[in-house]
Amino acid sequence: MVPLTPDIIINPISALGRYSQLLFHAFGAVTEVASYRKNLWRQMVKVGLDSLPIVMLAATFSGAVSTVQTSYQLVSPLIPRSIVGAIITSSMILELGAVVTGFILAGRVGARIAAELGTMRVTEQIDALETMGLNSVGYLIVPRVVAGVVMFPVLYIAACFCGIGGGMLIGELGGFVPLEEFIYGAREYFQPFDPIFGIIKSLVFGFLITSISCFKGYYTQGGAEGVGRATTQAAVASCVFLLLADLILAVLLL
Amino acid sequence: MKYSNEIKVGLTIIVAAVIFILGIRYFEDLPLFDSTYDLVAEFDDAGGLIGGNIVRVNGVSVGSVTSVYISETTGKVIVEFHVDPKIPVTEGSHATVGGFDALGVVRMDLTLGPSSSPRIPEGGLVATSATSDLMADMSARAPAMLDSVGRVLEELDGVLVEANTILSTPESDLRRTLAAARGSMSQVEALLAGERDRMVRILANADSLTADLDTAMGEDGEALTSLMGQMETMLATLNEDLERFQATNEQIDTLLRKLNEGEGTLGMLINDPSMYHRMDSTLNGLNALIADFQDNPGRYLKEMKIVDLF
Repeated sequence: MVPLTPDIIINPISALGRYSQLLFHAFGAVTEVASYRKNLWRQMVKVGLDSLPIVMLAATFSGAVSTVQTSYQLVSPLIPRSIVGAIITSSMILELGAVVTGFILAGRVGARIAAELGTMRVTEQIDALETMGLNSVGYLIVPRVVAGVVMFPVLYIAACFCGIGGGMLIGELGGFVPLEEFIYGAREYFQPFDPIFGIIKSLVFGFLITSISCFKGYYTQGGAEGVGRATTQAAVASCVFLLLADLILAVLLL
Repeated sequence: MKYSNEIKVGLTIIVAAVIFILGIRYFEDLPLFDSTYDLVAEFDDAGGLIGGNIVRVNGVSVGSVTSVYISETTGKVIVEFHVDPKIPVTEGSHATVGGFDALGVVRMDLTLGPSSSPRIPEGGLVATSATSDLMADMSARAPAMLDSVGRVLEELDGVLVEANTILSTPESDLRRTLAAARGSMSQVEALLAGERDRMVRILANADSLTADLDTAMGEDGEALTSLMGQMETMLATLNEDLERFQATNEQIDTLLRKLNEGEGTLGMLINDPSMYHRMDSTLNGLNALIADFQDNPGRYLKEMKIVDLF
């Protein structure tokens, strides 16, 4: 029988269905803390603490480069230099802090999760867990997603701190914007909701990256090649859905 | 020493939370650890003020706006803000909204009341004065301004049309004047062309004259200076002499006036005719006496004994 609808429509819908099913199972297993507690701490260290140096490095450089480029572009005598501070602080808190961290995590953590779970799937370790009577979703997926949701805001805060700090530092040392003017501008335009919005974004990003990577890894098929494909798909899909979520959140909340 | 994963994760989360809270307070211009001094102001028009805008006292940033909302009961704009607790916001202080809404730099300016007045309590209401929104003012005045600009342009247009008419009419005064001026100019030009050689010579002479004068001044400069000095002294002396002469003159004047008026012996002598008359009559008498003496010497010598005399 020839299918009535092409795969290009069926596949995403079926993927969404399986993804929802997996999440449903995962939420059901959240209460089984005993089964994943130890694993949770390990995942938090892997997702959060181990990613801290690269996130801080990337954020520092984004802040510094943004400061240099913004002060290079703002040559109008009508615009005070303090505006650079406002632009860097707002863009780090609202956008760069979360998105830079998200991309790094999608590449670093998403790929790792997909590869780990994919290898476990193709070597039938997940089936072994099930056979032993353990809830594989609760044991493998819940700690990773929870670790992502809890640790992503921590990484976001570190990224903002380093990004704004890097901007201040390069502005002062490079002679682009004096520190006082940078801080004055940052305070002049600061809105208390901005960091709250950033935290909301980072919670959503953390959830999306880890859950999508878990989904891709958990349903891996086809040996070593399948693991490679799952890893790539996890990283790419995480980035795409992260950007989509970024836009939706900005439209909804700002 | 090896720390467990729980401790590492817990510590990281705590540090991040502390940075987050302190960071927000820092960028909101709040003291990091102290409590804040919260106040409320009520405006008719917030002028684009939003939460996070800076509160300034005498141009110094001292706090920020917490929230801005419309009161459900009065319909006015309620602005909640906080300032540094060290700022003495006393009774009589008032708040205004300033800055450019169009540029997004709106702020609240606080003018402090007299320092002798009591402080406004925490959460108290600060008086406000009318917001002066520059952009709104400009927008409000724009139609009137455009109108007057339009009128000026119309008038200018009229003037230009008139000027055009004058210039384009061949028999207009301006045209005639210009033609006459042109004629005069051409005459002057012809004259100048004719007398060109002479003028050149005159100018050359004047040039050489001034050059000579310059040289003379340069060479005999000192001599001239001393000469001038001497002349100056001389003139001063002359001046003194003249003054003295004037004084003498005045005295002579006085004397002559007295003589004229017949004052003093000399004056009487000159002016009084009675003495002349008396002298005249005396001389007449003397004449008669001498004549009589000549005629009759004996009368006078009768009594004189010549013998006695000798």
